[in-house]
Amino acid sequence: MTTPNIGLPNSGPPNDSVIHDIGFRHYDGPRLGRGWAFRSLLLETLRGAFGLGRPAKVKIMPWVLIGLFTVPAIVIVAVVILTGGQELPLTYTQYPIAMSLLVSLFLAGRAPYAVSRDLRDGIMPLYLSRPIKRQDYVYAKLLGLAIAVWIFIATPVTVLLIGALLAKFPVRDQLLGWLGGMLMAAVLALLITSIALTLASFTKRRGLGVAAVLATLVLLSGFVSVLVSVVTMQRSGSTGTYFAVLDPYLLVDGLSAAWLGVDPQNDFAQPDGALGTLVFTTALVVIVAGMVAILLRRFRKVGGV
Amino acid sequence: MTTITTSGLTKAFGSVTAVSNLTVELPTGVVGLVGANGAGKSTLIKMLLGLIPPTSGSATILGFDCLTDGLRIREVVGYMPESECLPLDVSATEFLVHMARMSGLPASTGRERAADTLRHVGLYEERYRPIGGYSTGMKQRVKLAQALVHDPKLVFLDEPTNGLDPAGRDDMLGLISRVSSDFGIAVVVTSHLLGELERIADHVVVIDGGVLQRSTSTADATQLSGALLVEVTDDADAVMARLRDLGASVAAGRTPGSFAVELTDESLPAAVVAIVAELGVGLVRLQRRRHHLSEIFETSGVTS
Amino acid sequence: MSTIELVGVSRWFGNVVAVNDVTMTIGPGVTGLLGPNGAGKSTLLGMMSGFLPPSSGTVTIDGIAVWRNPAMYKEIGLVPEAEAMFDSMTGEEFVLANARLHGLADPHSATVAALEKVEMLEAKARRIGTFSKGMKQRIKMATALVHEPKVLLLDEPFNGMDPRQRMHLLALLQQLGTDGHTVLFSSHILEEVEDIAGTIEVVVAGRQAASGDFRSIRRLMTERPHQYSLSSSDNRALAAAIISDGSADAVSLTAQGLDVQASDFGRFVHALPRIARDAQISLFDVTPADDSLESVFAYLVAR
Repeated sequence: MTTPNIGLPNSGPPNDSVIHDIGFRHYDGPRLGRGWAFRSLLLETLRGAFGLGRPAKVKIMPWVLIGLFTVPAIVIVAVVILTGGQELPLTYTQYPIAMSLLVSLFLAGRAPYAVSRDLRDGIMPLYLSRPIKRQDYVYAKLLGLAIAVWIFIATPVTVLLIGALLAKFPVRDQLLGWLGGMLMAAVLALLITSIALTLASFTKRRGLGVAAVLATLVLLSGFVSVLVSVVTMQRSGSTGTYFAVLDPYLLVDGLSAAWLGVDPQNDFAQPDGALGTLVFTTALVVIVAGMVAILLRRFRKVGGV
Repeated sequence: MTTITTSGLTKAFGSVTAVSNLTVELPTGVVGLVGANGAGKSTLIKMLLGLIPPTSGSATILGFDCLTDGLRIREVVGYMPESECLPLDVSATEFLVHMARMSGLPASTGRERAADTLRHVGLYEERYRPIGGYSTGMKQRVKLAQALVHDPKLVFLDEPTNGLDPAGRDDMLGLISRVSSDFGIAVVVTSHLLGELERIADHVVVIDGGVLQRSTSTADATQLSGALLVEVTDDADAVMARLRDLGASVAAGRTPGSFAVELTDESLPAAVVAIVAELGVGLVRLQRRRHHLSEIFETSGVTS
Repeated sequence: MSTIELVGVSRWFGNVVAVNDVTMTIGPGVTGLLGPNGAGKSTLLGMMSGFLPPSSGTVTIDGIAVWRNPAMYKEIGLVPEAEAMFDSMTGEEFVLANARLHGLADPHSATVAALEKVEMLEAKARRIGTFSKGMKQRIKMATALVHEPKVLLLDEPFNGMDPRQRMHLLALLQQLGTDGHTVLFSSHILEEVEDIAGTIEVVVAGRQAASGDFRSIRRLMTERPHQYSLSSSDNRALAAAIISDGSADAVSLTAQGLDVQASDFGRFVHALPRIARDAQISLFDVTPADDSLESVFAYLVAR
C-alpha cells in the first residue's frame, strides 16, 4: 500500500515522491495446514541428515561416510569391467549387509541429530502449538530419516547397476536385481531407523545417543552371529536361523532371500521354508510397530506446552 | 469483541484439579493472566490450543471450538513459551522460515514473512548468526517472532519478560503493546509482575489454584482512589498541620516530606498549593493516588 | 550487625573482567544490587559468599576475609540463581540436610521455622523434582534462612514466584532488614527494589556506577535536567508563566498537560506553587517524571 503523491500547492508540477507503508502485513492467503507442515518437517529432517542448509562443519561426517560407503562399489565395478567378470561378486541385496558397519555409523550419527537435538533444545512446545498432531512429529522424523538412510544405501547399490550395465550384463536381470535391492534397502532403512530413533529419543545428549545406537547395532550383529553359530552347532537343523531375527541386518538379509529368492549375504540367515518366512516377516512388522509405539509414547510425555 | 470464552472449563488429572469450573470472557486487546504458577496456567493454555480435552465444560477461541477444531485453532494462534525452546545451532532466519512453513505458510510467503517479522521485533544483522550466540533479549525476540510470523489473530505470551534486565523489559513491553495496537493482534500475556500488567494490559484475569478470582479491566482496577499524594521539600509537618486546621484528614507518608490527604473536598488540591506557596516550601509532588492491581491479592484472600 | 566490605576488588576469568576495581560497603538493612545482564552481579555475590576468591582486592565481613573461611559460612545465607537442585529429595529433606551441615543444635525445629517463613510447610514432603519454579525458589530461601545468618545474599530470588508470594517474601526481607540483618539482593524488578531497599548499588560492565539512596543519586545528576509532568486548569497560561519566571529550561505542551525540564530542581519546585497561585491556575497534577528508580537506573546505565 503506498500513500498517494502529496504535491504541495503552488509548487509547480506534482513530484513523484512516496512514503511506503512497511508496517506489519497481514496474511490472507492460503494456510496449507497439517499435510504441508508434515511435509516440511520431513524434508527438514531429510536435509538435516545430509547437513544441507547447515554450516560446512556439519556436512563432513555424512558425506565422508557416503564416500567411504560408495568407494567399494566403484572398486567392485571397476574390477568386474577390467577382468571381464560375468557377475557382480556382491549383489544388490548383499552389498548393504556386507557393509553394515558403515550403515550403522551413518545412522548412529544422524539419529541423535534428528531427535536428541530437539529434546535438548526443548523445541516441542513450538511444534505442538502448530497445526500438527503429536504423532505427526514422530512419523515425519521417522520417515525423513529413513528416506535419508535409504538414499545412503541406494547410492552404491545404484553404482553397482551402472557398472553392471557398463559391463554389458543382461539388462533385464540387472534391473530386476536392482529393484529388489532398492526394495530391501527401503525395508532395512525403515527397520534400523525405527530402532535408532527410539534409542536416541531417550537421551538429550547427542554423544550418548550416537554411542547407544552404534553399540546396539554393532554389538547386536556380533552377538547374534555368535548366538546363531552356537545354536546351529548345538542343535542340528535350522533352529539357529530363527535367532537371526534379533539382528536387523540378518533379518533383512533373510527376508531378501525369502521374498526375492536371491542368495543371502549370510547363509545361516536363510529362513527355513514357509514357516521361517512367516516368522521373519512377522518379526519385521512387530519390531517396527513396537519401536513406533515406544516413540509415540515417548513424545506424548515430553515437551508439553 | 470477545476472543476467548470459557464455560465451566475444568481439567482434572486424577485427584489434582488443575483448572476448576472456569467461566470467563476475554476481550480483544492485551489481556493479562495472573495467578499461581504451574499446573493451572499451562493446562489452560493447552486446552485453549486444543491439545488436551477438558474434563468438563467448554471453551471457544476466535469462534473455534477448542475440543474439535484444534488444528484450525493452531493455524491462527501463536504461542511464545516461557521455557528455553530455541535450536542453538541455526540462525534466526533459518529457524523462522522453518517455523513459518510448519504453520502452514507456502515456501516463498514463509521466507518473506520471516524476514519482515524479524525486522518488526528488532533483529537486524544478528539474524544471520546462530541463535546460540544471542543475548537473552535477542532470544526472547526470536521466540516472539516465531509466534507472529504466520499472522495469527491471537498470541499467547508466557512470561515474555523473564530474564530480561530493566532495559530489555522496557523494550519487550513496548513491543507487546505494538503487537496489539499496531499489528492488530490480540494478546494474552501471563506475568507475575503486576506493575508490567498495569502498564500494558487492557484487561486482567486472576486465576488461583485453577479457580477464577477476578476478571476486570485494568482501568477499573486502577481507578483513582480518594486520596491525594503530596510531597514537599521541607516543613511537611507545618503543611500537614495547616491542612488539619481546615478539617482535612492527613496521614504521613513513608518518605520524609510526603503525606496523603483524603479527598473529601474538591477544593483541597488548591488549598494544598496555597498553603505550600504561603509557607514558601517547594512542591515536589501533587498526585491523585490510584488503586493498584496488587490490592486484588491483598484483600481477596488469594492463597497459593 | 554485619558489614560486608569490598576494597579494590577485581575478578577476571582469563581476559574477561567480570568485576573491575569495585569498592563498596554493605551495611545492615536492605540493599539492592542492580545492573544490566552480564554486569557482574552474580560474580560479586559469589565473592561475598566465599564461593569465589577475588583476583585482586579484599572481600571481608566485619573485617574477616570470607574466602576459604568455613567459619564465616555460618554467618552467610546465599540464594543463588542456579536452578539445578536435588530433584529426588523432598523439600523438607533438603532444608534439613542444610541445617545439619551447618551443625545446628536443633536442626528439625530450625527447618520447620525456615519452611514456615517461606510458606512451604504444606508442600514440604513433596519431591523437589515436582516443584514449580516459584516453589524451588522458596526452598532455596529456606535453606539460606535455616541457620539464621546475619548476612543474606540473594540473586534474583523472586524469579518465578507469583504476586502473592513476592509480596510475602519482600515483606520478609524488609523485616529482616529492619531487624538489623544485612540483606543484599540483586533484581531486575526495579519496582520491588524501590519498595524495600534503602540503598542501592549499581554495577555496569563490572564497574561500580553508583551507590546510595536513589533519590539522592538523582539529585547528584546535575547534568540531567529534572523532568516534570504537570496538568492544570489552564495549561497554556501555566506554560507561559513558567517560561517567563525563568525557573525551567524548557516546557512542552502535551495531550495530558505540560512536560517541564528544570536544571535547578530546588528553584523550580519552590517557584511552581507561587506561580500557580499568582496566575490563579489550579494545579491538578504535579509528578516528577524521572524521580523513579527506573529512570535513575536508565540514566546510570546509559552513561
